[in-house]
Amino acid sequence: MNDPNTDSFSIYGEQITSRLLIGSALYPSPAVMAESIVASGADIVTVSLRRQQSVSAGDDFWQFIKDTGLKVLPNTAGCHSVKEAVTLAQMCREVFSTNWIKLELIGDEYNLQPDPFALLEATKILINDGFQVLPYCTDDLVLCQRLADLGCEVLMPWGSPIGTGKGLLNQYNLKTIRERLPDMTLIVDAGLGLPSHACQALELGYDAVLLNSAIAGAGCPVTMSHAFKAAVNAGRFAYTAKAMPEKEVAAPSTPTMGMPFWHQT
Amino acid sequence: MSYNIAVVGFGLTGRLAALELSLVHNVTVYEVGNAQALSSAGRVAAAMLAPLAESVLCEQDLALMGLDSINRWPKILAQLDDTVFFQQQGTLVVAHQQDKGDLQSFAQRLKPLANHQVKSVNRFEIEALEPEFAGRFNQGLYLPCEGQIDNQAFYSASFNTLQKRHVQFKFDKKVDIACKQLLKSYDYIIDCRGLGAKNTTCKLRGVRGEVVRLHAPEVSLTRPIRLMHPRYPIYIAPKPNHEYVIGATEIESQDSGPATVRSTLELLSAAYTVHSGFAEARILSIQTGLRPAFSDNRPQVNHEGKVIGINGLYRHGYLLAPSLVAEAVALIK
Repeated sequence: MNDPNTDSFSIYGEQITSRLLIGSALYPSPAVMAESIVASGADIVTVSLRRQQSVSAGDDFWQFIKDTGLKVLPNTAGCHSVKEAVTLAQMCREVFSTNWIKLELIGDEYNLQPDPFALLEATKILINDGFQVLPYCTDDLVLCQRLADLGCEVLMPWGSPIGTGKGLLNQYNLKTIRERLPDMTLIVDAGLGLPSHACQALELGYDAVLLNSAIAGAGCPVTMSHAFKAAVNAGRFAYTAKAMPEKEVAAPSTPTMGMPFWHQT
Repeated sequence: MSYNIAVVGFGLTGRLAALELSLVHNVTVYEVGNAQALSSAGRVAAAMLAPLAESVLCEQDLALMGLDSINRWPKILAQLDDTVFFQQQGTLVVAHQQDKGDLQSFAQRLKPLANHQVKSVNRFEIEALEPEFAGRFNQGLYLPCEGQIDNQAFYSASFNTLQKRHVQFKFDKKVDIACKQLLKSYDYIIDCRGLGAKNTTCKLRGVRGEVVRLHAPEVSLTRPIRLMHPRYPIYIAPKPNHEYVIGATEIESQDSGPATVRSTLELLSAAYTVHSGFAEARILSIQTGLRPAFSDNRPQVNHEGKVIGINGLYRHGYLLAPSLVAEAVALIK
């Protein structure tokens, strides 16, 4: 049996222990952010490089990120076109000295749904350019297969739209992707609100979850960070322990030996 | 007893400190810029006094300090020779139908402040508060205790009054707070440099904000409006003569360069969805400011030897400065 305290999963060949990836936006203050990140036990923190937030201008903010000592996963949050996303990915590679890129390409302004068509196009360009792409995608099996065909070793299907906190809206789809792509590293990204949502994702066999708003937007982000850490461990324990099969008929858990036969139906 | 006191920095806290201290002491003001203090965050700000709305983002003790500051503002403005617009007619928080979830979430995160209740308002109550919103919004929140002042008028009025009080000004003067000469010349030094203290004050950072000032003759709003929106939460602060401040972006960056097209589009599009009369408004200015903040986004009053520092007011300058300045002045024995 794998010990969930020590087992790991792979992101492009790199072994990662913590199954919780954490975001760096929307916290009440940088101090709360730093404390929440530490409490989460995460190995990886995602950051977006946007607008005037160049590393030199926002150097204090980057210092907070650097001080966590975590590995940085840059993302292309807020990009709406292939060109925008590719350019930002290239900037991120220079700034953070990493080939990893969490590729976000928004197709709908209101529910921030990823644009599957542009995502495939941008993934192809970036892989050809030497990037190791972690695409943020919908929970569509065929899209996931196409992304796998392009050479992605990690996929990040959504649980529900970003920031909604609705949890895993379509467990059937997520389960199907897990079953059909057994060797793929799968991370549920976006839409989680409660620790139980993260636990469910891990129970389904997902390798990890990525979240931001659920912690940053909580009344007490640091405490919520502890809760998510525990939930992710619980979900992983449950998955490796293999859950009992669900049944339609009740089966007593207390031995009934010695009960008179007329009490049994 | 009257002391010789240097106030270093002529932004919002520097002006308030100089006004308070010059009643009793001999005050000299040092400022790295000119009398306008153009790099000061308080000049760019919308100058809303919103302890309830800001309680969503800050701790309760700071929100309570904001309530205390609101009570101090009329007394501060009363000592000025020129009239400065101040009002306390509350804030109206609205959301478009599709974003009512954001309004609910905002309502849930408001912290309770004794005797200052939030009121849910329907379309008719919204119309009664702001007649030009008739039929535009179906749901909102009314925060009666909140107010605002005209910061640009305060900047010029405070300078005029301080001049009349024979406060000495040394403009275009960068000051080293630890300089022996300075320490020798004054009994107290009030360090109000904001981000100017960045190199000497540990962990101080700038948080970029962009605001647009409009002249909108077709818009008549009487109180600050906040629009809850998943992506573009904005406020509209009415100033005298149909002027409005639309703000503000909040970006973790120390880039003080001009506003971007994206930020401007976001602010103005959101304002237009609140009131179509903004379409014909004239853009008076698009400004950028850097809010000085510590890592916990809380302000600090420090006292070390002769130096008393007030800093880290972040996005709560007008909301907190009067109380913090009073706290700092009380340290002068």
